[in-house]
Amino acid sequence: MKHQHLKQALFLLLVALPFLGFAHDVTSADQELLRHGGLWAYIRVGATHMLTGYDHLLFLTGVIFYLNSFIDILKFITVFTIGHCITLIGATYAGITANEHLVDAVIALSVLYKGFENLGGFEKLKVKSPNLLLMVGLFGLIHGFGLSTRLQSFDMGQEQFLAKILCFNLGVEVGQVLALIPIVFVITLSRKHKQFPAFYKAVNWYLVLAGVGLFVYQLYGYFNGHH
Amino acid sequence: MKFNRKNIGKTLKNRVFSPLYLLLAVILLCSHDLYIKLDTYFLESGQEATLSLYNGTFETSENTITRDRMLDASLLFQGQRLNIDASQWTDKDSTITQFKFTPIETGTYVAGVSTKARNIELTADKFNNYLEHDGVLDMLEYRTDNDLLNQDAVERYEKHVKAMYQVGDDKTDDWKIPLGYPIEFVPLANPYETYTGETLEVKLLLDGEPLSNQLVFADHVEGTHAHRHHDHGHHEHEHHGKKHKHDEGKQDHDHDGKKHHKHEHNDNKHSHDHDHDGKKHSHEHKHDDAKHKHDHDGKKHTHEHKHDDAKHSHDHEHDDGEHSDDHNSKKHTHTSGQQLRTNDQGIVTIDLPHDGIYYLRTIHMVPVTDSDELTHQSKWATLTFEVTHEHDDEAHTHDHEHEEGIPNWVFIVSSLLIIGLLFLVFRKKK
Repeated sequence: MKHQHLKQALFLLLVALPFLGFAHDVTSADQELLRHGGLWAYIRVGATHMLTGYDHLLFLTGVIFYLNSFIDILKFITVFTIGHCITLIGATYAGITANEHLVDAVIALSVLYKGFENLGGFEKLKVKSPNLLLMVGLFGLIHGFGLSTRLQSFDMGQEQFLAKILCFNLGVEVGQVLALIPIVFVITLSRKHKQFPAFYKAVNWYLVLAGVGLFVYQLYGYFNGHH
Repeated sequence: MKFNRKNIGKTLKNRVFSPLYLLLAVILLCSHDLYIKLDTYFLESGQEATLSLYNGTFETSENTITRDRMLDASLLFQGQRLNIDASQWTDKDSTITQFKFTPIETGTYVAGVSTKARNIELTADKFNNYLEHDGVLDMLEYRTDNDLLNQDAVERYEKHVKAMYQVGDDKTDDWKIPLGYPIEFVPLANPYETYTGETLEVKLLLDGEPLSNQLVFADHVEGTHAHRHHDHGHHEHEHHGKKHKHDEGKQDHDHDGKKHHKHEHNDNKHSHDHDHDGKKHSHEHKHDDAKHKHDHDGKKHTHEHKHDDAKHSHDHEHDDGEHSDDHNSKKHTHTSGQQLRTNDQGIVTIDLPHDGIYYLRTIHMVPVTDSDELTHQSKWATLTFEVTHEHDDEAHTHDHEHEEGIPNWVFIVSSLLIIGLLFLVFRKKK
């Protein structure tokens, strides 16, 4: 029975992973869609970006892995959502932007951080771990700034500027909910299996490695122009 | 980090100083170009679009066009000419006259507006200034050579403007059909089958005949259809062998050694340095409460004035707001860009080095000798269109960051392998 749960979890993981494969493919096709598709296009591109943004999803995976109850998941995801809404809407409206590679590098560090924390890294270093809810809120702000930087890379025009930002934000939330469903499902199923501790360690070590890898990749992109 | 919106200081400054600059503009009354502009020049069938008449510069419109001034307003598509009725125009913000429409048929469209002639009386100094700043250099030279610089002027002017835009993918031949205006630009190739890095030949017709040896100015701004590149530390790409590099907060272009065009943009400074056909031309703009200065080799041309985001005026003149050299903080367009001269066949060749909306302008002026009322007569023409790079389905080489990130399959496979491997390791350890 327990083997069955792990198999189901791994199967769902395999099914969900291809979505990550579209990671950050926000392209000229999206620009065309935004130009001609009105506000609906902003919702669609926002959702697509969240569904295919592996750094955001990896961070959320790390957050959910640490939590056991649905209430906790709801609480942390709400804080993360509030955080990214603030910077996504605020920074885009105010026209505040930064180098995309640097923002994505910090987001990569958030993935690394979550994996490190889930693996008890702070305890091993005998350091008091920062308040988790506060950190999730802080990283929410950073992820929101990353989303804002991406949104601002599009030619949005001047008409309905705020409405476009809000629609993109709405799309991000829709995408987040859609992405969370399989993530929560996979993690919940895997918890019932006796091999969960190994799976937990494997995924969180993967988050650490992915965080380091993405961080290096973004820095390489920053220093080498990457165009 | 950049902060380019909601700059509180700037906003306050705008609110405080803009009315003063506007007042100054009204007092000084400078020359106005007329352009037909669209939000986008690439439309889909069934997509509503707005055709706007900009009476001022290409960036800023100062006045609406009253309907009684319009001799003709037409759309040309699929070989048909559709008259735009006066009642279909609306005014926006008392500065822009607009016509909203929804094209259904695909093709290359032509829009044209022709205005009635008006007279303007100018003192000699103001007339000379206007000739210089608006690029009517042949008339200025004529006045200089004939010792007429002290002669006041009464000029009759009329404006005839066109825009070309593309609906859907079908390219039609309407672009080559003249609208029959007293002066007009007619391209010799479809601008929508001409791409970035190429050139476009345009014929200038005066009363239906090629007009030779006429000065034409061509410039461009970034178009809505242009691909945006992300704001990285620096940015470099090549268009048809012409290197083009941008640094953050700074744009520096060097194209084929002929033209040098340098921009520096930050919150306070904006400078241009051009070399057009041997006539050096440099601009230096400083924004906020700063100054704005231009220098032209040979013909010195200097402006020094304050401006912020709003408007500023040159010391030109003119009637009922009809001639004005107002412009917003970023651009100065009367004689910027390429300075060209039509050949014996009335043709100019426009360089199209970048994606963007291109605008051509010319003022053809002749002295009037057989009138008690007039001393000069001018006919103004503009043409706008948008140019983008060629989209080749087989070799589409956009250099987009996100399109060349980590390949999807690499990410998926490596992620699965790593998780699987780690899982096996940790299971075995246990």
